[in-house]
Amino acid sequence: MGSVAERSKALDLGSSLSGGVGLVSVLMVFVWLGENQVSPLRPICDLRVLDHFVREARDSEVIMRGCRGGCGVMKSYFVPLTSVDFAVWEHTDVHGQAVEVQTGLSLLDQALNNAMKTVSNSPLASALENNISNIHSLGQILHSLDLQQARSTVLPDDSVPASAQTQEVSSLPELLQVQSSFLRGKVRLLLSAAPACQRQNS
Amino acid sequence: MRNDRLKIVFVLCLAFVSTGGQHLESKVVQLLQDEAEDIKCFVEGKDLTCFWEEEEERNNLHDQYTFTYSYENKKKMACVVSSLSLLASNKTVFFCKLPKTPFFTTLVVQVYRDAQMLYSRSLNAENFLFLDPPRNLTVTNSGKEGQLNVSWLPPPLKYMDDSLIYEVRYAMEGSNMGKVEVIKVSTMLVLLGLQSDTRYKVWVRVKPDGVAYKGYWSAWTEPVFGVTQPGDMDPLIVVLVLFIGLILCLLSLTVILSHHKFLLKKLWPDIPTPEHKFPGLFTVYKGDFKEWMSQNNGSIWGRSVHVYAEELPSPLEVLSEVSLTGHATSQREERKPVEEEEEKESERSDSRLTDRWREPPHAHWLMEQLRALQDNPESLSQSSLLQSHDTYVTLNQGDNERQDDDVFEETVPLQTLFTTAGTSSLSTSRSDLGSLQQSSGSGRLSSQSSFEYPNHTWPPKGPGYAYMAVADSGVSMDYSPMSSSRIAELGKHRMYTNDYKNDIFPHKWPLSGQHIKSGSGSCTGTVW
Repeated sequence: MGSVAERSKALDLGSSLSGGVGLVSVLMVFVWLGENQVSPLRPICDLRVLDHFVREARDSEVIMRGCRGGCGVMKSYFVPLTSVDFAVWEHTDVHGQAVEVQTGLSLLDQALNNAMKTVSNSPLASALENNISNIHSLGQILHSLDLQQARSTVLPDDSVPASAQTQEVSSLPELLQVQSSFLRGKVRLLLSAAPACQRQNS
Repeated sequence: MRNDRLKIVFVLCLAFVSTGGQHLESKVVQLLQDEAEDIKCFVEGKDLTCFWEEEEERNNLHDQYTFTYSYENKKKMACVVSSLSLLASNKTVFFCKLPKTPFFTTLVVQVYRDAQMLYSRSLNAENFLFLDPPRNLTVTNSGKEGQLNVSWLPPPLKYMDDSLIYEVRYAMEGSNMGKVEVIKVSTMLVLLGLQSDTRYKVWVRVKPDGVAYKGYWSAWTEPVFGVTQPGDMDPLIVVLVLFIGLILCLLSLTVILSHHKFLLKKLWPDIPTPEHKFPGLFTVYKGDFKEWMSQNNGSIWGRSVHVYAEELPSPLEVLSEVSLTGHATSQREERKPVEEEEEKESERSDSRLTDRWREPPHAHWLMEQLRALQDNPESLSQSSLLQSHDTYVTLNQGDNERQDDDVFEETVPLQTLFTTAGTSSLSTSRSDLGSLQQSSGSGRLSSQSSFEYPNHTWPPKGPGYAYMAVADSGVSMDYSPMSSSRIAELGKHRMYTNDYKNDIFPHKWPLSGQHIKSGSGSCTGTVW
């Protein structure tokens, strides 16, 4: 009498266990896939995209120069270092360069967002908005080139640590100049030397 | 040993400096002209070089220049100042080469002289690239007409290959007018639209494109020559030209053949012969004119005469004199038809010929008249009323008594050509022809016939005679009545000869002269 019930109980247990294992295995497969995600993006190696962003950063500087009223307040921003010593740069490996670029882009993103809050001049505001979206696109490009080593972390305001890799600027024009120099310098050098693109060319 | 090493290093340094100095000098010279800033800077390779001119007032070599630079708010750094003497312009510049030039950041450079700041400038190094010219410029024939392939290598740079633009200048050899093509990134170009079989010079220079890097145009490369292919004649054009030429030939041939007779007559005219006017003269009578004349009776001549437009007949009819009282002589037999008067209104100069050729029909009749006159010489002095409007010529038998040198000034220029068998009575004058001046009241003279009448007089015919002066201009006739007194007056003037202007007649003069030698008479024309 008990055997039938026991048997059915055992069967139920067995089936549920197997179901569970299956689910778990499937889940594990998914997790594994998620972790070892292959980049779906094709590497964007055309530097003309970056040149487009550089031109738009320069346009912001021009608008800033001609801005009369509502052009932001004097405020300190933490921005990346832009200077490139070719001798030093060439000795830095790609990953190190990528980290520098990534950190710098996030710093710029933050600074521009902060600046936009103080700008009421509409052409300038739209230009700044353009720059911010360009920086996001650059992140995507780096991602496509498999250079996004560290995920961009949105740091809370006013809590950016002053590191050796940052500098402080005190006005919006200076900020825009830093953005321009950064894009033309480090970002460009990194993209032009990206291994993903080198593999394509060779 | 250490000294030797030092020496080697020094020599190498000198060599390096000299070669580098050459490049430096050329760039310095160019920037001296182009750049307006006090401190002129350019990037050569990866290093920034800044220079400034020596102030003219101070030639003191002991002047101490100090060059400092700083970036990113760091402390100032010093740079070693060197001097360079420019050979061309005999100037001296001081320059400094930054050892490790930071790019993509704002540099602040300053020049101090004796602890006093002289110049200051802030700049980004990546904006002042002064590149070397492109290398290995080659110009080759592309194989097509009017094209040349141009290719070169960029200056040796890292990271900048894709941000350079080039300018290609090309011109025909010997010409200074060149065209310029700008090309981005790519290091080759095909020149189009060139003349075939021509030598071209090509130059190239380079500059950063201005997006990531900016700078000055480099110097032009040395010119390289290339020759375009010789042009082929487009086969289509050749075929069309031949085809059109063929069509034109056929057309011209057709035209020539259809009008060949006309063209032949124009280009190779027949030598005119008078044969057709004298039918049978040369064929039957073998040129014997007398024979032919006697046979033909001149009937054809009469016809042919009318053909000549110039030779309009001015018929001359000799009548016996008629008296004004109305005694008409029976000797007057013929009246000239009106048409002859009209014919007289044409060029009188040709009258001689006409008269001559007209002679045969009236020859016999005239002979009769002359004989009659001969018999009745006194009838000449009588005048009679002429009853027609024609021009009549009265033949003066030329009495010997009348030797006055009277000249009848205005008369009809008619020539009398008569063959006279009996010339005894007509031997008064030996002149060949009567020459009468032809003049018109209006002074129009288109043709004249001349008569020679040195000894002739025009006898005033008496009061009964009415003379009408006829002025013949060759086109029209002016008739004006003349009184006899006027005639007498005129008759006192000497006659004179006038040259005959018609070309047809000169050669006929001898003939007519011979013809008339035997006798002639003075002629007066009267018209009623």
